[in-house]
Amino acid sequence: MIEAALPGAEVEVVDETGAGDHLRATVAAAQFEGLPRIDQHRLVKAAVKERFDDGQIHALSVKTSIAPG
Amino acid sequence: MADPQLKQKVEELIAENPVLLFMKGTPEMPRCGFSMKVVQVLDAMDVEYGAIDVLPALQPLREVTAEVADWQTFPQLYVNGELLGGADIVEEMFASGELAEALGVEQPAEAPQETEQAQGPPAQSPPLQIE
Repeated sequence: MIEAALPGAEVEVVDETGAGDHLRATVAAAQFEGLPRIDQHRLVKAAVKERFDDGQIHALSVKTSIAPG
Repeated sequence: MADPQLKQKVEELIAENPVLLFMKGTPEMPRCGFSMKVVQVLDAMDVEYGAIDVLPALQPLREVTAEVADWQTFPQLYVNGELLGGADIVEEMFASGELAEALGVEQPAEAPQETEQAQGPPAQSPPLQIE
């Protein structure tokens, strides 16, 4: 989902508890260039909003970095 | 939709406090590990900040911050009227020195202390109340 929202992004998602609902996402995307971190996180969270809304994810911690475009 | 009166109050607080933390609990007694982390970072920066305990009005405040800043989880740190981020972002920006830059202070030499109590009262304004 994150890769679909941010084409070309490198995404790594780790299941922190083994239950699949507490996730840690590390995202490197060229689209983050020039954006404050809060906006980078907003992009990632918006990409997975559906999974929060349907309850499949309860927590997602996000770490972003800018990938060379 | 968020309560318009509460929204106005929150917008005023954000405008009036150059550094404002919405947190679970108080700086003296954080009620959430993420909130505690941000408090420790701010105390390490030796910066004056306003703190609001969101727990008495958690759901109404979520609705307000969703509208004001497109963000619903706490803690939330506002600097000069803009949402800087939650615990993840604050910690990352602290580590990189960006937080010191955003706050206009020197990067402290030491990492945030896990035990603040022995060092006397941290530099902060009294907790603000949401009625």
